[in-house]
Amino acid sequence: MQVGLVIGTATATIKHPSMNGWKLLVVQPYQSDGRTPDGEPVLAVDSLGAGCGDRALITSDGKGTRTLLKSDTTPVRWSVMGIADE
Amino acid sequence: MRIGEVIGTVTLNRSHPSLVGASFKLAVPLTLSNLSGAAPILGEELVVYDALGTGIGSRIAISEGGEAAQPFRPDMKPVDAYNAAILDQINLDDSLNT
Repeated sequence: MQVGLVIGTATATIKHPSMNGWKLLVVQPYQSDGRTPDGEPVLAVDSLGAGCGDRALITSDGKGTRTLLKSDTTPVRWSVMGIADE
Repeated sequence: MRIGEVIGTVTLNRSHPSLVGASFKLAVPLTLSNLSGAAPILGEELVVYDALGTGIGSRIAISEGGEAAQPFRPDMKPVDAYNAAILDQINLDDSLNT
């Protein structure tokens, strides 16, 4: 899991059917010090209602995302599993 | 999934039998400064399996690694970059560009 800052949202009409109805967040992952960005922004599926400016806890566990989206064939990996308080 | 921009198409002359008839696009992953328009796109492009008929210049969600081969379950395809979605809009909150 990694802490990242939610910097925006993304919308897509043409997509893999397993992603229908799920909010896509643009999350910039941070390194352990919580300030320096770590790589490119990623797209994470969100079920907790994280908004812009939130510090989201994103996981790259494909298995967890597959059970979250109830689809064995989803190409999504990152999903938001928590919103850090501070 | 990373955000990428489609910059070209790739057609295969000879390929793995399971990839016959597949269409591929050339996409480059975008960094935060690319998204906010502050820097030119200098990423290393990669070949993405595209089943959505994406046009050149559109922004897509590139799924990579093990998840890129998931959509073909149960049969197996040697794919490690898959176009999961054509992004209509990316709304970035500019005040957060740290």
